[in-house]
Amino acid sequence: MNETVLSSELMQQTFIVVPAYNENDCIEGVIRELRLTRANVVVVDDGSTDETYDTARREATFVLRHVVNRGQGAALQTGIEFSLSQGARFIVTFDADGQHQVEDVPRLLQPIVRGECDVCLGSRFLGESIGMPWVRKMTLRLGVLFTRISSGVKLTDAHNGLRAFSQRAARQICITLDGMAHASELIDIISHAGLIYQEVPVSIRYTKRSLTKGQSPWNAFRIVFDYLLSRTSK
Amino acid sequence: MNNFQVVAIIGLTVLSGATVVAHLRRWMRRGPCVFWCGLWIAAGAACLWPNKMSSVAHLLGIGRGADLVSYCGIVAMLVGFWMVYIRLLRLRREVTLTVRRLAILEAQRVYESGEHSEDDRLESKDEPMS
Repeated sequence: MNETVLSSELMQQTFIVVPAYNENDCIEGVIRELRLTRANVVVVDDGSTDETYDTARREATFVLRHVVNRGQGAALQTGIEFSLSQGARFIVTFDADGQHQVEDVPRLLQPIVRGECDVCLGSRFLGESIGMPWVRKMTLRLGVLFTRISSGVKLTDAHNGLRAFSQRAARQICITLDGMAHASELIDIISHAGLIYQEVPVSIRYTKRSLTKGQSPWNAFRIVFDYLLSRTSK
Repeated sequence: MNNFQVVAIIGLTVLSGATVVAHLRRWMRRGPCVFWCGLWIAAGAACLWPNKMSSVAHLLGIGRGADLVSYCGIVAMLVGFWMVYIRLLRLRREVTLTVRRLAILEAQRVYESGEHSEDDRLESKDEPMS
């Protein structure tokens, strides 16, 4: 565990972006755990209709609000831009549904801090995934294959929300796909910008709630459609 | 002229007039206005001289003039749908950029003016003493 501990000073220069949409049930716990890392927690409330904004405002370092729901990709880009405007040196993206483990944050940051890479992408297939249904597993594997064909990037997990960026990398990132297809777009950006990336094993814990609220496997078709459309319409 | 031709010509004349009015009122630029007027005129010509359409259809290797009109209609509709969808996507992107700008400006205003900590102080004042 000691090897993944980062100095308090470095963590204070780290901004953890948490896109949240109707996550009032678990956002408080997620932010409290993230605050233990001493990093700045930036919650982007993506037009929630529940109390997510008020709850986040009590706990997070910074809370931003989209007046209307624009999708996870849009919320992430908002959080990244705001973090850069506040002088972030490192930026981590973290899902609000409680699937990610806070202990993985320093592990993701370490290769960037050491200057080994610009981007660290979490991989549940290199780490562990607890309670992942086989349908989800198959969909994610197909996503990996799709990314390999479309972007030419070999990854083991292309759609993991836990990622870390150096300031240099974050400045080059401009997510234009508002929905869930942003994950594929992000890989494209990393590849085109020539950013050095690394995959880091992380743990994902699926809960009944996260599975209910999460993506349906059918949504994969929409993601592929959005992604392909964006490539033809640019 | 049969009844269908009369109704079609009246309808197309109204559409052409509306297109020109839209241009004069600056709701539509000249390029789209010329395109739409051309389309209405072509549709009118096809209604008025169906035999001529058959000749054009033969030239293109299509059996009947009516088939040519159907094919052109389907292609035009698909292109139209595509253009509208692309425009919708652009509009959505612009909405996102606006929403983002608003969110960032509001957050910068709140956190740089210290309004956030002021709110917290007031909220803690409101909380009942245990």
